[in-house]
Formats: sequence, C-alpha cells, structure tokens
Amino acid sequence: MKNFILLALLFCLAPDFVFSQNAAEILMNKGDGLVIGGYGEIHLNVNEDANNKVDVHRLVTLLGYNFNDKVRFVSEIEFEHVKEVYVEQAFLSYSIKDNLNLRAGLMLVPMGIVNEYHEPTTFNGVERPGMDKSIIPSTWREIGFGLNGRMDNASLKYQLYLFNGFKSDGLGGSNGIRSGRQKGAEAMWNTTNVSFDLDWYGVNGLKLGFSGYFGDSNVDEGVDVPGVGISMLGLDARYTKDRFGMRGQYITTSIDGSEEYNTAWESDLGSKMNGWYIETSYNLMGSDKTERLDLFARYSNYDTHAGVAGSLTRNDEYNRNVLTTGLSWHVAKGAAFKIDYQILGNEGPDDNTSVINFGMGFWF
Amino acid sequence: MKIKNIIFLLITSILFLSINPLDRIQKKIDKEIKSTFQIDSYFLKLISIEDSVSKSLPVLFNNNFKKIYSNKTLVGYSYYSKAPSLYNLFDYLIILDKNLKIKKSKILIYREDYGGEIASKRWLRQFTGKSWTDKFIYSKDVSAISGATISVKSMINAVENFMSSIKILDKKNIIR
Repeated sequence: MKNFILLALLFCLAPDFVFSQNAAEILMNKGDGLVIGGYGEIHLNVNEDANNKVDVHRLVTLLGYNFNDKVRFVSEIEFEHVKEVYVEQAFLSYSIKDNLNLRAGLMLVPMGIVNEYHEPTTFNGVERPGMDKSIIPSTWREIGFGLNGRMDNASLKYQLYLFNGFKSDGLGGSNGIRSGRQKGAEAMWNTTNVSFDLDWYGVNGLKLGFSGYFGDSNVDEGVDVPGVGISMLGLDARYTKDRFGMRGQYITTSIDGSEEYNTAWESDLGSKMNGWYIETSYNLMGSDKTERLDLFARYSNYDTHAGVAGSLTRNDEYNRNVLTTGLSWHVAKGAAFKIDYQILGNEGPDDNTSVINFGMGFWF
Repeated sequence: MKIKNIIFLLITSILFLSINPLDRIQKKIDKEIKSTFQIDSYFLKLISIEDSVSKSLPVLFNNNFKKIYSNKTLVGYSYYSKAPSLYNLFDYLIILDKNLKIKKSKILIYREDYGGEIASKRWLRQFTGKSWTDKFIYSKDVSAISGATISVKSMINAVENFMSSIKILDKKNIIR
C-alpha cells in the first residue's frame, strides 16, 4: 500500500519535472487523465401556425479519459427534450503514430458540417439546419471502427470507418432514412457500411470537405422484408476571413430498392434525396474583441423525393426551402445567445409559414 | 524513510524516465533544428532566466529556451512548450533566427480528436518572419481553420505571448 502511495505521489509530481507551478496555473490541469465537458441548448420557437414551444432541446455531458499520450476514451451522454437519454458517442482512440489513430466504438458518421461539429456555438441559427435532419440524419452515430489521421504536409485530414448501418424499418418520405438509425442500441450488424471523409485546408481560411457513405440496410433475420442500398455523397465548404464567414454543403443520396421496400411496408421512401444550403455571416463586432455578434442569412433547399421509383408519385411537400436570418451573440468563448427568423416553404399547395426562434447554447 | 522505499522510489524514477516521452520530443526538436538551419551538427546553450523574471512573463520559461550554435556561431533560438487544446495539451516548438524573428513553428504532438489541423505546415508558415512588432489577430493576421477554432486561437495566443516575452527578455539584455 505504502509503495502504491509513493508511486501515485511520483506520478502526481511527474509533470513538475517538465513544468513548474505557474504552468499548472496556465494550463488549468488540462492533460490530466479525466476530462469533463459538456454542451447544451435551450430553445423557444414562436410559430405562426402552431403552439409556441420551449424546450431543453439537448443537454450533453462529455466524459473522457486520457490513459496516456496514445490512448483516450471519449463519451457523450445526452438528455434530449429532458426525458430521453442517449449515448451519443463512446469510443476508444489509439494513436498508432503521431498522425494516425485507430478508433472503435459508438462514433459520429462524418458527413456534411453539422453532424460532426454539432455543438450549438459552432453553427448559426437556433435549430440545426433542416437538411441536417431530413437528408443527413443528425446526430448520426453508429457502432464501428476505423482509422483517422492527418497529413500535415498536404493540409489534409482523413477518416475511414466501417459501421453497422441502418435497419430496414421506419424509412419514409418526409425524413428519409432518419428513423432507420440504430444509434448503438442493441443494433443489428448483418451488413457492413463504409464511411469516409476528407478535409482539405490548404488555403488560408478555407476548409473543403468530401464525404461518402455506402452500404445496405440491415434486414431483420426474423422478418422477411427487403432492405435498401444507400449511397450518400457530400461536399462542404467553410470560409472565414476577418469578420466575414461563409459555409455551404451539398448532399446527394441514392436509395436502391425503394420500390420493393415501399410495397412491403406501404411506405413512401424516395429513391433519390438531394439537399444544399449556403450561408454567409458577418461579425458586427471587431475581430479583436472577445465577444462576437454574427449577423447571418442561410438559404436551404432539400428534397427527400428528388427521385421516386415505381408507382410512387412524387410528393412536392417534401421539396422544401428554408430562408433563415438572425443573430448569434457569442458572449464568451463557448457561450451564445441566438435569435432567428425562418420562412419555411415547399413546392406543395400550402402557403409558406414562419417561425421566430430564440435560444441559448453553451459548450465547454 | 526506509531504505526499501528509497530503492523503490529510485527504481520507479528510472522506469518513469526511461519511458519519458521527452526523449521522443527531443528527437523531433533535433530534427527540426537541423532541417531549419540546414546544419548537420549544432549545440544548445540554455538561457537561464531568474525566477523573479520568468514569473512575470506570459509564457512558461523553464529550461526550455535555448541558444543554437553551429560552428561556434549563434544561429538562432529554440523554445519548446505546451498549450491547451479543448480537453488536452499539445506540444509546440518555436525556432527564432538570430535576429529574434520566427524562423519555424511546429506542432510536435497533438493529442485530441479535433483541432489537429493546426499542425498543417502551410498554416504554421504564417508565423514565419514575424517579430514582436507584428500583430497576431485571429482570422485577420493569422487565418482561421473551421473546426479547429479553439486550437487555432490557443496556438496564436501561445506565439503572441512568447513573442511579447522575448521583447521583455531582450529589453532586459537576457537573450543576446
């Protein structure tokens, strides 16, 4: 026991071989084993045609542990709408070499911008962009494993993972494959899906992303229904210079076997889903200020019935467009108040509706 | 303290030092110095800074700031330290030329899943040639990287604070 205490003491003192006391002050105990963090967002939606709604949309606790320089564990436990509990991420990462890591567990699928960078202070607008719900099923996470790394000479980051994929159940017209997510909860892994992502940041202020996701949905061995094949490709870009910011993404999804699926389930799943948005922002305060007030506007168009197979008729209500404009007031690094006004329309017979959103978000 | 404990302490210290990642870092620093100045051999001389001075400086000086000599001539300076990413620390190196301008900056080890983009050689090149008279405003003087904002700001902060420390040290005639 004594030896153990001595050993523990030695390891506690170990950083002092390298750094003195005031380093500890500067670095605020970072780099220690245990990591605690979190993010969350609380919203008020003032609807033109429906009830107004207040919601603790998300409250997420990040719990991680740095075992050593090479091995770390990351987990996010999420409370959604106060009452639903999810594990959003839980993976082990092992550094094979400095710029190459092996990762396994419940992980985010790298696609588009918001699925991976979903903390509320990293995007404008109270709610996440609509296409990051209906086309990319954010927060999209499944169990898998794979590699990620960087090439510092080429300013390139890459990710390549194998996942368990969707279930062949609940897929439909309005939100596509969203209800097929298995989220790591007693999920089926009868077919393997492949996911990759490349990020290039070789021009100052610009980041370009290219992602892909391919695979068949899992067919329940006990139920004889057809599955579908999913191919998703995405392009995204983010640019920041001084007070000016711009971002956009384009995602296209092809679904094979939607006709057979719809017949079996009496559903209306499309065979092609497309979506894009473009957003510009301008910081009304200066670049040298601690606070930031971003005025932004985003136009988005997404259609979960961009293509239909067989006898299914295209539903124009699923061809949606959203104009969002508002302010994100970043009062501190990781804390923001948000307000925006959205005009939501579609190609169907109904008129446009509008909503005013208020929100606060934090990330630490 | 019992002899048994002392022996135990000694052994664990040796064990700890033998796996100390400092060896790995020292090798990387060595490689960087050689390639930056295009020299095959060099020697380092520690710049000793009194505690009373180092405590007033915005970055940490603790036997990590050294003069680089090649063929008995001063060619530059090397500084190695750590800075915070979101939930961890990264190790960085700054090499100055003999006129105290930045000649090279490098991320030696990055330990987190996000933000590693700051190790991009192209991004780091923005610091090259800067002196303490230059400004380091985020997204204006030094470009941003989406998805790596926290680490970008941390590295900018580290470089800026290092350069203002150099200014103070030089005014006190400690460096040259």
